[in-house]
Amino acid sequence: MEASVRAILFYVFLVLVVRIVGRRPGKQITPFEFVLVFFMGGLALTAMVGDDASLTNAFIQILTVALAHFCIAMARTKLRRLARLLDGTPLILLENGQWRSETLSKMRIQDDDVMAQARDQGIATLDKIEIAILERNGQISIIEGSK
Amino acid sequence: MSDVAFSKPVQDSVPKINDEVAVGEDLGFQRKWWKFETLMWWVIAFILVLNFAGFLGRGPMAHAMLSNDAMIVKYERVERTGTPSILEVQFQPATLGKGLVKLHVSQSVVNELGAQRIIPSPLDTAVGRGGLTYTFTTEEAPGSVQFALQPSKPGIFHFTLEVPGSAPLSARVVVMP
Repeated sequence: MEASVRAILFYVFLVLVVRIVGRRPGKQITPFEFVLVFFMGGLALTAMVGDDASLTNAFIQILTVALAHFCIAMARTKLRRLARLLDGTPLILLENGQWRSETLSKMRIQDDDVMAQARDQGIATLDKIEIAILERNGQISIIEGSK
Repeated sequence: MSDVAFSKPVQDSVPKINDEVAVGEDLGFQRKWWKFETLMWWVIAFILVLNFAGFLGRGPMAHAMLSNDAMIVKYERVERTGTPSILEVQFQPATLGKGLVKLHVSQSVVNELGAQRIIPSPLDTAVGRGGLTYTFTTEEAPGSVQFALQPSKPGIFHFTLEVPGSAPLSARVVVMP
């Protein structure tokens, strides 16, 4: 019982912390985020395992986290508010030649990040972008303008 | 005829921009979230400051001391579950002058606070009066006795230490999860 409670607590705690840390753009995880993921995972593991390093404990905690994840994923499909809370909403970064500076600053994104994605799509200059969107998963979508 | 069991017409409920791109941006919600995020960063910073200060254990504010005419007790008023710490009893010169020193500790020191060992080892241990009475020789305990603690569960616990013939010293210890 205690093992499951610990697992749920840490799962919810990590979901909240990762949500606060925020989305970062990019298709691949950067070394910067790599460190964060491994550190958080390792530190959570120490406390979750405690003095019970048995196979049963690991088994129960993995099953608990899997069930918690399933329940949250189910609830997310039913409740739009929960989905918004867990994932946020897509955010427009650039629209019709205008940067959304508030969004860029609050999401800690630089224009270079948008430009990198534009280059990835074969767009050479910013004026060819009609709209750039920071997706919920942290990817930047670029839609090319007609001009 | 289709054999698809369930189907639903496509309805685009996501707000569109220029009637072209369905983005689904909700800046109202996002601004509230940014405020919450800012607040949470302050909360995180506050928790870390509390931690560095020792309010969550293992820091300057966690150290505490009690004294009377028989002894001085140095302990941690905030402990952490499963984390070792030391409770030190320093006997006053007047107590040491008697050759043998008796120290009564409440059962909570052993049970809740998880005393693992006593340094130096007592000459004798007697059970009674809701705790244990240790006897040390002044040669073996040159001024101080240390209890290596390791609490096994979180909670708020009280302990009492007493040198028979003098006033008992009591304190509360918070054991963090």
